[in-house]
Amino acid sequence: MAEFLIKKGRDIRLKGAAKKDIVAASFPKHVAVQPPDFRGLNLRLEVDVGDSVKVGTALLSDKADPRIGIASPASGKVTAINRGEKRALLSVVIETDGRQEAIRLQPFSEQQLQDLSRQDVIDFLLKGNLWPAIRQRPFSKISNPQETPKSVFIHAMNTEPLALDIDFVLQNKENEFQAGLMVLKKLTDGEVHLCIQEGAQSKALTQAKGVQTHSFAGPHPAGNVSTHIHYVDPIKKGDLVWYVEAQDVLRIAALFLKGVYPVERIVAVTGEGAAGHQVYAKTILGAPLAALVDGERNERMRYLSGSVLTGKDVGAQGFLRRYDTQVTVLPAGGKREFLGWLSPGLKKYTFSKTFLSAFHPAREVSLDTDEHGSHRAMVLNNVYDPLVPLDVMTDFLLKAVLAGNVEEAEELGILECDEEDFALCTFACPSKTDVGGIVRQGLDLAEKEG
Amino acid sequence: MFEEFLERRSKKIRQLFEKGKPLEKLYPVHEAMDAFLLTLGKTTKKAPYVRDAVDLKRVMSFVVIALIPCILMGFYNTGYQIQMAKGAAHSLMGCLWLGLVKVLPIIMVSYIAGGFWEVLFAVVRKHEINEGFLVTGILFALILPPTIPLWQVAVGISFGVVIGKEIFGGTGMNIMNPALTARAFIFFAYPAQISGDAVWIAVDGFTRATPLAVAAIAPKGASAIAALSQAGYTFQDAFLGFIPGSIGETSALACLIGLIFLLITRVASWRIVAGCVLGLTAMSSVFFMLNGDNSLALFSLPPYWHMALGGFAFGAVFMATDPVSACATQAGCWIYGILIGILTVLIRVVNPAYPEGVMLAILFMNIFAPLIDHFVVRQNIKRRLARAPRK
Repeated sequence: MAEFLIKKGRDIRLKGAAKKDIVAASFPKHVAVQPPDFRGLNLRLEVDVGDSVKVGTALLSDKADPRIGIASPASGKVTAINRGEKRALLSVVIETDGRQEAIRLQPFSEQQLQDLSRQDVIDFLLKGNLWPAIRQRPFSKISNPQETPKSVFIHAMNTEPLALDIDFVLQNKENEFQAGLMVLKKLTDGEVHLCIQEGAQSKALTQAKGVQTHSFAGPHPAGNVSTHIHYVDPIKKGDLVWYVEAQDVLRIAALFLKGVYPVERIVAVTGEGAAGHQVYAKTILGAPLAALVDGERNERMRYLSGSVLTGKDVGAQGFLRRYDTQVTVLPAGGKREFLGWLSPGLKKYTFSKTFLSAFHPAREVSLDTDEHGSHRAMVLNNVYDPLVPLDVMTDFLLKAVLAGNVEEAEELGILECDEEDFALCTFACPSKTDVGGIVRQGLDLAEKEG
Repeated sequence: MFEEFLERRSKKIRQLFEKGKPLEKLYPVHEAMDAFLLTLGKTTKKAPYVRDAVDLKRVMSFVVIALIPCILMGFYNTGYQIQMAKGAAHSLMGCLWLGLVKVLPIIMVSYIAGGFWEVLFAVVRKHEINEGFLVTGILFALILPPTIPLWQVAVGISFGVVIGKEIFGGTGMNIMNPALTARAFIFFAYPAQISGDAVWIAVDGFTRATPLAVAAIAPKGASAIAALSQAGYTFQDAFLGFIPGSIGETSALACLIGLIFLLITRVASWRIVAGCVLGLTAMSSVFFMLNGDNSLALFSLPPYWHMALGGFAFGAVFMATDPVSACATQAGCWIYGILIGILTVLIRVVNPAYPEGVMLAILFMNIFAPLIDHFVVRQNIKRRLARAPRK
């Protein structure tokens, strides 16, 4: 097992961690599938409002490769199809009937799994509508079943603020997890790299067979996929790597062994605003946030699917995004302070050293959505680089993107990056630059220009 | 309570500046005043949803705070030099007051004239007023001689802001430090008022050469220190700042206090300052060792004198560290700093026509900073290409 100690980065120790106690959430009355979650797919509707669907029914399929389908996580009736600007699909909402009737495929025994060919695995994942669990780098999009990656990464740790501890979730799941790894091993001629947190306890992670296990220690973003790939098997232009979330490894195993589209999702309910519900909630994919925080709504709170760094404000009525394993309820900011720029700042949270609080850091901090300033030109240097453990010169990467120079951006390593890797930079930037947004803009540009 | 009151007032006043209202064009002014009094209270609309409490306003005001010792020393020393020249008694408050009367108008003209351009560009470009000007305005005032005519202050800062900064696209886009650009402009445009012996002490008809000038004109082969002490300059005076010179830069001690503040708050790059000191020490040591009977007197000036004299301390702490015009890479910062130190001594020692070398050294390196960065970035690209996957 290789060990990596990540030194650059920073942990934001937010208040409101979830208690390590898996509690079944009430079964949701509605669930939603949200097309914007599936980057890289151009989705076409397969159902209409009023149609009855089962668990595993394809609600949407990719226009380029119709074999890639997006499954319904519940049985019931399609009640709404929401569109946004330019008629872009935003969500397909299903009213659940609670019966969870499912489409059944012929399952495999554990013995049979070993004899599957690469094509068998791909075909079954496509047939079971579970293909979108497999994503690729560069560009962080849904992978293409016709390509072969040089390696597959299993993302089995997360260092974002208040993130779900996957090691805890995987306790006593070593058999399913191992079966999932075995299936994924078929997808590449190279290695499967299992990236875990240093000190992980579960047998699923520590005794995984047939894979290369790598442990990472250090502050966020030590747990990001980009960090793992960068240290273990870096990509150059033309390289392709696939990656899978650890919870999806379990689901892939379940699909093969049971023949039913698996919908279970364990979500850490976190944040100060979720007081009383801060547990590991067992629910299903596409569940509404209201089912997890028990419907209480508070005007002064923001309801995020995901973490404070990379989540999305979906509102109390919103639904869990496909790849999120965390819900954060965050107090809304916006209080104006008199001469705030002069205050000594005993209670202000900063990575810089310009407030007194920087000299006696609190154990846990309470943050709200205040932006603490407005956008300015980039002025300061060396703000970003201490927060990015990749060997990437962030300031110059941004300038290359802003100048539209794709070639230079690629030379500077943009293909190794994802916008989430720069969330801390955006957090810390005194000029309030949307660093991640610029990187995403550069990635889109690089993808378009091939 | 008080905040709510202010917020209500501000909302009322804002109506005057809104679209279609008489003061629409001046919206950036209102916005700047409003944000000065009350934090913005803007909230995040996309991830990351939480943000660091620091903003550019905070950072820039910290630079101004770091300048306070230099400003106070500037007041005091200007008054002190006047009293000394007149042979009058010098009390602490008396000197401060005299200096205040002399210096405050310079600072105010610098802020008002520069601020005018800043606001004009913000209004035309419809962007917010940048706080960077708070620093430029005071920096420029502090590197002027106390006798400078006020109209030259206005012309200089206008040049610095417009040509040195705004034509490049405003704060963050400029290549050279705007305050130094302004200083260089009046240095070459109006040499009579900014160089020579007569400009350093605000008493009519009184002249006294700055220590660097004294050392520069000392005869060949003479000891610079001897020449300085003959002219009445001790190292203690030079270090503490009781010597003639530009308003804010005579006291190395005041700069040192500012530096400590900037380093604790991590606003300035310690690498640049360390590089400057290193470069200066190395180069002046070389000259010191080469010193012979027929060399210029400045050869014999040891490094610690170089650091205390002229604008070196001020330049290294407040000018070279300007992040916009300095190198952005860490390795680049070292090279950039060291070369500033070396160039400063070179210009001072072997080119006695300009006994003050820091300003030119920094401007020169400002121009080279992107090139240095370019090479550091190329190294990074090469390293990434050469990287083999780990097995």
